[in-house]
Amino acid sequence: MTTDPHRKYEIRCPVHGFIQIDDWERQIIDQPAFQRLRRIRQLAFTDLLYPAAMHTRFEHSLGVMHVASLVYDSIVQKSREVLEEHLTYTKEGLDRDRRLVRLAALLHDVGHAPFSHSSEDLFPDRERGGKKFAHDDYSAAIIRTELRSAIEDHPLNENTGFDADNVAALIEGSAAAKRALFWRDLINGQMDADRMDYLIRDSHHIGVQYGKFDLSRLISSVIAIAPDRENSQPRPGIEEGGWHAAEALVLARYFMFTQVYFHKTRVAYDIHLREAMKTLLPGGRFPKPTGTELKEFLKWDDWRVLGLIGKGKAGEHGRRIIERNHYREIHHTPEVCSDKDLRELKAKRISLGNLVVAEEPAKKSWYKTGNTDIPVLSKVRRPQVQPLSRYSMAIEGMKENNQVLLYVDGADSEEAEKRIRKGRQQK
Amino acid sequence: MSDNQSARLATLVALAEKQPRLGRTAVMKLCYFLQTLRKVPLGYRFTLYSYGPFDASVLSDLSSAEALGGVESKTVLYSGGYGYEISPAGRSRSVKSLGSGFIKKHASDLQWVVEQFGNFGSADLELLSTIVYVDRESAQAKARRTPDELAEKVHEVKPHFNQPYVRQKVAQLQELKMLRSLRATSGNR
Repeated sequence: MTTDPHRKYEIRCPVHGFIQIDDWERQIIDQPAFQRLRRIRQLAFTDLLYPAAMHTRFEHSLGVMHVASLVYDSIVQKSREVLEEHLTYTKEGLDRDRRLVRLAALLHDVGHAPFSHSSEDLFPDRERGGKKFAHDDYSAAIIRTELRSAIEDHPLNENTGFDADNVAALIEGSAAAKRALFWRDLINGQMDADRMDYLIRDSHHIGVQYGKFDLSRLISSVIAIAPDRENSQPRPGIEEGGWHAAEALVLARYFMFTQVYFHKTRVAYDIHLREAMKTLLPGGRFPKPTGTELKEFLKWDDWRVLGLIGKGKAGEHGRRIIERNHYREIHHTPEVCSDKDLRELKAKRISLGNLVVAEEPAKKSWYKTGNTDIPVLSKVRRPQVQPLSRYSMAIEGMKENNQVLLYVDGADSEEAEKRIRKGRQQK
Repeated sequence: MSDNQSARLATLVALAEKQPRLGRTAVMKLCYFLQTLRKVPLGYRFTLYSYGPFDASVLSDLSSAEALGGVESKTVLYSGGYGYEISPAGRSRSVKSLGSGFIKKHASDLQWVVEQFGNFGSADLELLSTIVYVDRESAQAKARRTPDELAEKVHEVKPHFNQPYVRQKVAQLQELKMLRSLRATSGNR
């Protein structure tokens, strides 16, 4: 079917209102590989404790594209000179890379496995280096294969001359993205459009306030900061007036992880899902992001998994999901463990013996200094550029979370508590 | 803590001991060079940003090493901007002992990376590591390039460096036999 290549469309979004897309983007969105995201929940089985957490990667992906465009426009509007001087951008170049950033934002999650992050432990190992594939690898592979034609063959691409590799390169971080790598922090960084969207979207759907922050203030404060002695290239940063909005983003992430994503019951269902998936997947692993295996991977979505669980093919853990009969947390360390906490954990593990069915780390770093420390540009302070961690005492004091949670079977809870009490008395 | 993470934390402490006033960019890039040029199995997954190869796990490990008292980090302000200085802290020996076998096994690699790259500033480290990254990507794609072609590819990522300077850094790395994708210039084939 031929359509008007210049036609615009609007999609209703519960967070951002209307999201505008053009015909090119629509044709990409209409591809089966992208439509699959309608069948991948954003937060896996979080609905088993927050019942409304049923939203999908599909709406999140549209939201990330929308937010990335707003951030892009803010940077161009406020920092055009920096971009022209240090990255040799022209108007045409900026128009072209706006497109590129939109497409990369739209497609950054297209490689998610069923139930998003919860089943990523089952990605296969790479042939070299031993590390597992990540969902970015699947996204890049899908863009280069399933979505290549939709990206490259649209009439509007006559104006930009993209190939699918340009988009994939920006997502995976490769030299083929050329100077557009400057924008990669908008797709994958401490102040990226992904984070800005999911914190607010997840809060909205779940019905919590933890993930909310002043999105418009933050967007209107984002700029490009010129190179200095330590940084050879421009980097995204914020104007001084927006630092509290940036601080709120970091704190929102901390609250969402501690209150929602690392909630003890949610973590329990991540365990059950992972174990159920191990039973369902041939060899207990997802297919690789290459050749025919990639096609097999794309056949996996939440619907297929739920169907198999419903048919009783996912073993004990599938049954537990259906019956909402999850493992029970028996002990957790503080969010930031000391040596003493780790010793206590070890002692409890010994007291509990074979009652421990799972030990799950909830490791997360809330804010990272270094290249990714958000630079803040001041009109009055000297030096003019200082990191957000210098502005915010809250952020400066944030320590990496290295919490560990111990689980037992619900039927063993009483016995487990008894053993812990006994262990305490013996001490 | 896994054995791999223990080894990584110990490596970070060892780097801080070997190179006084180590910056965060330097930590990132030295880890990249160790893993890529010396095959030290740190298990990081570096991808390319405009500031060169980067893996946020390096910074997470640095935070862990700091929390355990192996290193300390301070922000240093100077006219026009800021940087970081990392140095060994009170429990550095204890954190290093977590991966003592690994450190012993790779002692010569650690020494090598500090000798080769320890004295470069952050801008140069970003450029040198980007050259190695682009070179390895080319080699993996079985693309053979002349030094000038490789410099051109790097310049596309980092247009704020002037081309002769990029070519000079490619030549330096070539001299040290650290590049894999290079072929002779067409006249010499």
